[in-house]
Amino acid sequence: MTTITREEREWFLRNLAYGLLEYMGATSPPVEVEELLHHPPPIYGFDFGVVDMYSNLWDATFARPPSRRGSIFVRVNLPPNQRRFALAREMLSALITSKHGQAMGLGDMLMDSLQESAEYFARNLLAPEPMLHAYQANADEVINFADEFGIPVEIAKKRLHDVGTEVH
Amino acid sequence: MSMQALNQLVARSIIDPSIVQNFAEGSISEVLRELDFTSELRERLAKLSADTWAEFAVLAYRIVKSVEQIPSPIELPSPAEGLITEESQIGKEQVA
Repeated sequence: MTTITREEREWFLRNLAYGLLEYMGATSPPVEVEELLHHPPPIYGFDFGVVDMYSNLWDATFARPPSRRGSIFVRVNLPPNQRRFALAREMLSALITSKHGQAMGLGDMLMDSLQESAEYFARNLLAPEPMLHAYQANADEVINFADEFGIPVEIAKKRLHDVGTEVH
Repeated sequence: MSMQALNQLVARSIIDPSIVQNFAEGSISEVLRELDFTSELRERLAKLSADTWAEFAVLAYRIVKSVEQIPSPIELPSPAEGLITEESQIGKEQVA
């Protein structure tokens, strides 16, 4: 496998996120990733389940029980913005371990930086640049931005940092 | 335009198995033919050697990026042609 730079990895992840956004037909925030998990593209029919769980250990985690559908196990009492981000982040693990993701070679490229990649992927899925540019035309407060996109404020700050925007 | 075409290709590949299948079968040129690449670039991309689709995508990104970073030469009229084009000269003669 060719060694890739962070910039190349992020370019690749951005485009994976755009592919899913295009499939969803999402044009304005918030991006409802849970809808995508409930109605996945046909090739992910065996990979995109959601299971609510009571847990104090983590917000969400992806698991694929042997010979069964892969699912994101998500803490049942998470606030909606945290739940949205956690599901989007864990979606990358679902993609990587899917049959199609394995055929693409996603694991070879992304497993070494899984957490960082998953969070970057989620930020791009929930706040893609075209929506971000449209939004920035009429507001500059990070809290408003987080509210509008339905994501945690900390994630909103990171997303604005991704695109080189000063946070107020 | 080439980077936009590559972006669209990678984006599509996450939901369209035919792209990865074409790559695996060594017939990615058939997919590239449908996209807005110059014939020279298309040929370079089709010759890339990669173990996986993801690796191919990154190698393609490097090539497209390097091609798009080359500044295009500024096109100035030749001094031999003068500043007035033949067409505008004809127009003036007709008015006169």
